[in-house]
Amino acid sequence: MAFPTVFSVVLSLTNYNGGKIFGNPEIGFAGLISYIKTFKDEYFYLALKNNMYIVAVSVFGQIPLGFVLAYILSRGLVRGCDFFQSMIYLPNVISTVVIGILFQSFFLNSNSVYMEIVRIFKPGAEFTLNENPMLPILFVILWMYTGMYVIIFLANLQKIDTGIIEATKIDGANELQTLVYIIIPALSGVLVTSAILAISGSLKAFDLIYVMTQGGPARRTNVLSIYMYDKAFRGAPNYPLANAISTIMVIISFILIVITKAVEKRFGGKE
Amino acid sequence: MADVRGLDRSALVSKVLIYIVMAIFTILAIYPILWLVIQSFKTTQDYLLNSKLGLPQQWFFQNYLQSWKRGNFSMLISNSLIYTSVTVVSIIVFGFMAGFAFAKIPNKATPFLSGSFIIGILLTLQSIMVPLFLMVNAVGLYNTRIGILIPYIGIGLPMGVYLSTEYIRSIPDALVESARIDGAKYLKIFSAIIVPMAAPVAVTVAIMTVTGTWNEFMLVNILASSDKIKSIPVGIARFSGALASDYGKQFAALVIGLIPMLVFYIIFRKQITKGVAAGAVKG
Repeated sequence: MAFPTVFSVVLSLTNYNGGKIFGNPEIGFAGLISYIKTFKDEYFYLALKNNMYIVAVSVFGQIPLGFVLAYILSRGLVRGCDFFQSMIYLPNVISTVVIGILFQSFFLNSNSVYMEIVRIFKPGAEFTLNENPMLPILFVILWMYTGMYVIIFLANLQKIDTGIIEATKIDGANELQTLVYIIIPALSGVLVTSAILAISGSLKAFDLIYVMTQGGPARRTNVLSIYMYDKAFRGAPNYPLANAISTIMVIISFILIVITKAVEKRFGGKE
Repeated sequence: MADVRGLDRSALVSKVLIYIVMAIFTILAIYPILWLVIQSFKTTQDYLLNSKLGLPQQWFFQNYLQSWKRGNFSMLISNSLIYTSVTVVSIIVFGFMAGFAFAKIPNKATPFLSGSFIIGILLTLQSIMVPLFLMVNAVGLYNTRIGILIPYIGIGLPMGVYLSTEYIRSIPDALVESARIDGAKYLKIFSAIIVPMAAPVAVTVAIMTVTGTWNEFMLVNILASSDKIKSIPVGIARFSGALASDYGKQFAALVIGLIPMLVFYIIFRKQITKGVAAGAVKG
């Protein structure tokens, strides 16, 4: 895993563009040209912005939702905790490709379920993806991965000493006070970790978007990984540029790793 | 008295509300999958002409036979089985060996080596897809099974090494020491003491690797060009691209692709969720 990273940094600094890699006289040092090109490309920022949308959905959608569901399950407010947990996690184990195509039929063409419902209100409506093309993708991401956060929070909620919660109850604290003063502080480390997980998850988003929209229409649903894929595999390959994007993504990952480690230290390392 | 009854009623109301919330989320989570299964029994005509939320007018099983043949699913499934099983076995074997070395035979290089594996856990695969493709190409393994298997093993190994290191570390040193004093070589210690004791972690690693490898799409998509070596996710993506308007068959293909993982999940539900929780907290 470390070697491809180094390899990518080196290639991103050259003008390599196909053909033999080793002992090829045409390869020369090109410096930071690929990086400058990347930072000048408006589509790079579009892709970055879409990555941010995915992060936002995770941080403001999945994490609160996952927390609420996990909280309900952990406090024993409903029976069948195991059943609910399994059902909500189910979308996670199914291939992203299957899910992508499934939701494409659900939303993204003129024969979709979504259009059928729209036509009830507006007969003869035509399918278009020009308004908010990221919306269906964000919905599917929310649908798929909320279960993961439920599991994570639930595992950590169950670690909290029930004695403490009982003690606060005896002292006259209500449900809300227990939540705010005992449970949320105990989970702060996990919350931060989840937020980081959300960012690295957005870097991973590839399969789903590749299957659902291929980054279209007009590259408006590109994320960084799709943007890189386009540069390398669609049309004329531009490997230096793709490698430059790869390096940028790796740097983002590394920053996240460092933050995670720092958080772990700060909150006493959850082994 | 009245006060107590009022409390009871509000407790009941909130209980019902909570159940309703949980039920809604559960239905939201499984409805799309249920919908897919129902639609897969419709003919394409039935799907297009009638309500897309309803039941089929007559249950049509031909979709499955046809898409199994057209999509060449027997080949896709055997490919997926090969990739998954080889990857799982290699990761367990190599992971155990590395874990044993990291945990019980420390030397100067250990922190650096184990540290580089830890970074491997956290690095996202997508960010290195282009360099990986170029490397596989450069060594002439493009479009071969080996060229897919090596990256798979490399990707899964960090997590496998990490989990087995942690686990083997918890085996008492005294056990290893006493065996050494009795004259056992490292290989003997490994096979006679470590392997039998570390079996539970092998199950965890195997389950996590299976879910990761079986569903992997991107790597096979870029590293394989011939249909003969493609795995299920890539095969399905291609198949549905070619038959985008033949909904009945497309849905049947999706269901076929969904079934193996569903069965796996039903059997290993507990271990999967446990593994997710452990992995996330540690990662």
